[in-house]
Amino acid sequence: MAKLLEVEDIRKSFGSTEVLKGVSLSLDRGETKVIMGSSGTGKSTLLRCVNRLDPADSGHVRLDGEEVTDANVNRMRQRIAFVFQDFNLFLHLSARDNITIGLRKLRKMSKADARQRADRELDRVGLSDRADNYPSQLSGGQQQRVSIARALAMDPDVLLFDEPTSALDPELTGEVVSVMQSLARDGMTMLVVSHEVGFARRAADAVIFMDGGHVLEEAPPKEFFSAPKHDRARQFLTAIGEGEAA
Amino acid sequence: MIFDIIIDHLPYLFGGLWVAIQLLVALLAVGFVLGIALALAEVYGPRPLRWFGMAFERVFRGIPEIVLLLLFFYGLGDFYPIEPFPAAVLALGLRSTAYQSQIFRGVIQAVPRGQMQAARAIGMSRAQAVQNIVLPQALRQAIGPWTNEFSSELKATSLAYVIGVVELTRQGRYIISSTQGNILVVFAVIALMYFVVNWLGNRALYGLERRYAIPGYGETR
Ligand SMILES: Nc1ncnc2c1ncn2[C@@H]1O[C@H](COP(=O)(O)OP(=O)(O)O)[C@@H](O)[C@H]1O
Ligand SMILES: [Mg+2]
Repeated sequence: MAKLLEVEDIRKSFGSTEVLKGVSLSLDRGETKVIMGSSGTGKSTLLRCVNRLDPADSGHVRLDGEEVTDANVNRMRQRIAFVFQDFNLFLHLSARDNITIGLRKLRKMSKADARQRADRELDRVGLSDRADNYPSQLSGGQQQRVSIARALAMDPDVLLFDEPTSALDPELTGEVVSVMQSLARDGMTMLVVSHEVGFARRAADAVIFMDGGHVLEEAPPKEFFSAPKHDRARQFLTAIGEGEAA
Repeated sequence: MIFDIIIDHLPYLFGGLWVAIQLLVALLAVGFVLGIALALAEVYGPRPLRWFGMAFERVFRGIPEIVLLLLFFYGLGDFYPIEPFPAAVLALGLRSTAYQSQIFRGVIQAVPRGQMQAARAIGMSRAQAVQNIVLPQALRQAIGPWTNEFSSELKATSLAYVIGVVELTRQGRYIISSTQGNILVVFAVIALMYFVVNWLGNRALYGLERRYAIPGYGETR
């Protein structure tokens, strides 16, 4: 059976520097994979190529066998949701309306239906009581949970997360991670750039280690964290405090 | 008595004020619609449109209002018969377009990049993102600077008398010349009328700004 998401030989340069040097990966329906790698390695760029926020120079992205192209990108993005590092909630809209706006403008849902759906998604991320708050009235962790609810409301096939907890104070990462874990448990298909080792151990089917614009290795979390195959991966794990004590 | 003269002529003064207000509303409307269009073209449009926008702004901000009025009334009138009022709307409206497009361009560019990105990421086209996300935020921020534009255009309407628009200032001159009235008092009344309109307009715009303020936005938590 074909994979749900197939990323094939993506290359991307900014000016004369090649940031992605032929990256391939794939996700089955219901799988969660965590991408790790040092800063500047191209992880964000890869995610942005997947939903074409940055179009790749070459390579293919297929969802359920259908290639993402300029012509179908607006439709495909509704199926490949993106959660940003700094949330990017719509500043002029309440938490609820951050969720309803896509349903109303893109799905042409009625106001009442969209509202009902929004409230269900807010409930799912534990923010029913914050529906009427505006982004600047919410903590970072709450904003990120609203942005996850906004993504979920579009019924995406795949969720992409770009370091969803790294803009948060340490004491706020837990609430976001636990929402993501429950999504993984519920069978969402997720591709997550994150250095949250706990999340990777508990929720990921595989860890993908990127370095210098390549995928160096992909392995189940247990294997990756206990016996990484590459020196670069070992160094990386030591740097984030996960390597065996030196 | 001068005050009797003023009271006798109040209907003319209010008539003139009404013309001034109509001129103000018309020229601001022209400037608003074209100003937003120009700002969008400059921010999102292809390069030739950007150049056109910049050139338009330079030209219309660089020419004195009076010269524009004369140019549109007498200059355009040479080719196409035009009444004083529409000529004034055109001249002052296009000038206001230049100033308003500058206001709108600034507030559009001040909307954080992530807003457009997030809108595109849920599947909005660029036009949908501009309409639903960028403009609603930008327009809220525009109300403040737009209030200045309102005030300066109100004052600019008084110049339309040079091409024969019978607005408030023109009415004042009629009254003075037909009654040998007291120039100081007549113009003081006229000044008061401009002041009150300006004050009311500013109040209404502040009210609008408060009403559309984003809760919690810009406050420090
Ligand atoms: N829009 C851009 N223009 C130019 N260079 C960019 C752009 N986006 C990313 N880069 C560069 O590409 C490289 C990879 O960036 P990124 O994908 O953000 O890495 P990561 O997310 O792994 O930290 C970096 O060197 C970065 O400076
Ligand atoms: Mg990154």
